[in-house]
Amino acid sequence: MAKITIDGSEYEVADGRMILQAIDDLGLLMNGVDIPHYCWHPKLTIDGSCRLCQVEIEGMPKLQIACNTPVKDGMKINTANERVAKARRGVMELLLINHPLDCPICDQAGECKLQDYAFDYGVAGARTNEPRRPAKKSVDLGPTIVFDQERCILCRRCVRFCREIPKTGELGVFNRGDESLLETFPGVPLDNAYSMNVADICPVGALTTRDFRFKIRVWFTDDVDSVCNQCARGCNISVSRSNNKIYRYVPRRNDQVNDTWMCDHGRMSYKLNGQGRLSHSRVDGKAASAAAATRRAGELARQARAAGGRIVGVASPFASNEELEAFRDFLGELGAGQARFAVPRGEGDDILIEAEKAPNAAGCRALGMSETADSLGHADLAIVLGHTTHAAAFADVRRVVLIDSHESALSARADVVIPARTFLEKSGHFTNADGIVQRFNAVVEPAFEALEEREALAEILKAVR
Amino acid sequence: MQKEPYVKNYLSEHYGSDSYRTLEGYEDAGGFAGIKKALSLAPEEVTEAVKASGLRGRGGAGFATGLKWSFMPKTSDRMKVIVVNGDESEPGSFKDRMIMERGPFQILEGILIGAWAMGARRTFVYVRGEYKEPIRALEAAVAEMGAKKYLGKACFGKKGFEHDIVIHSGAGAYICGEETGLLESLEGKKGQPRKKPPFPAEYGAFGLPTTVNNVETFAHVPFILEKGVEWFRARGTAKSPGTTLFGVSGHVERPGLFELPLGTPLREILGLAGGMRGGRRLKGVMPGGLSMPVLPPSELDVGMAEELLAPKGSHLGTGGVMVMDETTCMVRVACVTSYFFRDESCGQCTQCREGTGWVHKLCERIEQGRGTAADLALLDDIPSLMEGQTICAFADAAAWPIQGLLKHFRADFEAHIHEKKCPFSESFEL
Repeated sequence: MAKITIDGSEYEVADGRMILQAIDDLGLLMNGVDIPHYCWHPKLTIDGSCRLCQVEIEGMPKLQIACNTPVKDGMKINTANERVAKARRGVMELLLINHPLDCPICDQAGECKLQDYAFDYGVAGARTNEPRRPAKKSVDLGPTIVFDQERCILCRRCVRFCREIPKTGELGVFNRGDESLLETFPGVPLDNAYSMNVADICPVGALTTRDFRFKIRVWFTDDVDSVCNQCARGCNISVSRSNNKIYRYVPRRNDQVNDTWMCDHGRMSYKLNGQGRLSHSRVDGKAASAAAATRRAGELARQARAAGGRIVGVASPFASNEELEAFRDFLGELGAGQARFAVPRGEGDDILIEAEKAPNAAGCRALGMSETADSLGHADLAIVLGHTTHAAAFADVRRVVLIDSHESALSARADVVIPARTFLEKSGHFTNADGIVQRFNAVVEPAFEALEEREALAEILKAVR
Repeated sequence: MQKEPYVKNYLSEHYGSDSYRTLEGYEDAGGFAGIKKALSLAPEEVTEAVKASGLRGRGGAGFATGLKWSFMPKTSDRMKVIVVNGDESEPGSFKDRMIMERGPFQILEGILIGAWAMGARRTFVYVRGEYKEPIRALEAAVAEMGAKKYLGKACFGKKGFEHDIVIHSGAGAYICGEETGLLESLEGKKGQPRKKPPFPAEYGAFGLPTTVNNVETFAHVPFILEKGVEWFRARGTAKSPGTTLFGVSGHVERPGLFELPLGTPLREILGLAGGMRGGRRLKGVMPGGLSMPVLPPSELDVGMAEELLAPKGSHLGTGGVMVMDETTCMVRVACVTSYFFRDESCGQCTQCREGTGWVHKLCERIEQGRGTAADLALLDDIPSLMEGQTICAFADAAAWPIQGLLKHFRADFEAHIHEKKCPFSESFEL
């Protein structure tokens, strides 16, 4: 460990770290210790080119960049004196002479580091009226990202991201000096499974996602912490909402789970919340009130139990730990034994994407539920909690009670359908592939009457009794 | 191109002889005495001798060569590498070209001495792409030495002393003459200097421990080994021993190379170059290549060594002396200089990328008679935003000459602004 002093406060940091890393390790970067930076990113290699993070280190004649200066025991660092401020003002002024300053029509406004730091270190007026570097507007970089070349400050975070994380390397900086321009390599569009992360790490409005741009001003949204439910990784996300509508997911940093990234598929899955929803209860294919549906479900359970028939519980790896526990207890009350579950599977990679395409299979397993992808066998009644994609398994099941949020092959044949909330409409916990239990929070209210699964189960149980 | 400098000393003594470019001729002239001496010493003793000689790098920064060698890890399971900087991209500098063309074996011998001292297994000589003849000369010399088993498995018959030399042609960019920009270029990447740390001795060419020295630096090394530290230190100044090849260009009667001891007064060098062309009056001298601040005629008695030039506000750089007479428009000089640095900036660091462009635009405005007092004030300020704040010294190199021109020739700038045109006869546009 090394003891360093920053602006008079002492910190104990790990040896061998760069100043910026060491402060980030303590969770204090821009959160108590403010060292502005553009090119540095905690999950990418050090570039050292934006020069904004210069600090004064006692005993060193020149200012040093905090991102590439290793800490030393006894190091005294000044981040806030006039000399440092002057250097930052200089960097900001130089960055802005070729920047279009089109904030009023820029989608990054409100979450733009250039705006933020210009506010802190910029000057109100420009000292030059020279024409700016000619560059292109609205460049099509690929299927997900639109590029505004004028706004780019050449921090090259996106270049390093493509080389280091998906390892596809589509981006590069071409030409030299003040004619440097970010571009894709000829004939190679920016198209990889993680491409939209470049919009998150772009400190300015140069890279924006085709999906989110111009949808809403960010200051009209607020963010709720959640967890992506598209695979067993459980990438931490912030969900941007406004007026009970979801606008986007952005990855939220969690070094144990997803660093600062998420895949494009997961990011675009916010749209699923509004698509193909089960919006009303059904009994025998006909619309019914929620009360009638739970009553009918209770009746079916009572009848099956009275006839000594087999009742099978089917849980979903999309359900929360709380729901799975409630379902286990519910099945116990019915004497139906342990629930089964099935996990949809697909391609995984060695970055984030897991082959299990559901967020909580680990939660099912932790409760001792057994995985059955093929037939459930003969049964008089199946009670299904949450989304399941394996309708064929129900071939020999006489009656089906389904509590689910989305239409599916199974909802088309279920005898009782009770609409439920999605994970964005309730709170709970998922257990990810590595056994990490993560909380998700309710972001929006459903547009129609939808019970939480636990409420539905309680209602059914009442009807059974 | 001259065959030999107008004034010769130990380094260029035989440059006039074509046979000196052949292995036989080089040996006849006493060549390879230095490496033979070195191989009779322990590697550390060789480094110590170079340290004691006070030899300073001849590439522009003037760093102590022996000290640099001692930065190489003593033990390493990775191959150690020497990289020789023959990019010679500094405008006004043309000495390395002659050394490579006329004395290629001096360089190769110096390399082998360095390889023995540092335990290096391979050398890459990075030569400026336009330098076709130097590349041919070096390649021929390497081939001759290889055939004679002076290179390869057991150089000069010394068991366990393995060394190969690769001649590599650059592709033409000023910044590839910067130590780590050169390494990137050598690796086949875009020539952009690397952030430090890590330093080349730890992570250099292809990630291997590397020492980068200038061509001329290596050419001096055999003489130090052969003739001894005392002999070497008897030339030049106490802090800058030895000679160098001063390249004089511009408005003199006899531009060319002159091998003289470091510390030789600038006035003497100009005299040897035949004085001012056409009897005109001197206006200013850039003493060390384009990136070093200009000196006014009042400083002509300064000795040409770093420690003597620094107090005068300039630097020795590469010893490329550029002479300008009274007909020279210093705003035009600023314009050409700033255009060069704008064009050659690699574009990584904010201050350099944006600052070089801005400075050039300001110089151009003033030169074309569009400048105002506010532009001049900006020109005073912008270089100070660039200086000392970037990955490499390029931004300094771009800022210093402008600062120098403003310091000594402010009247030229003011005249342009006042008269709203260039007061010098030739109109100028880039």
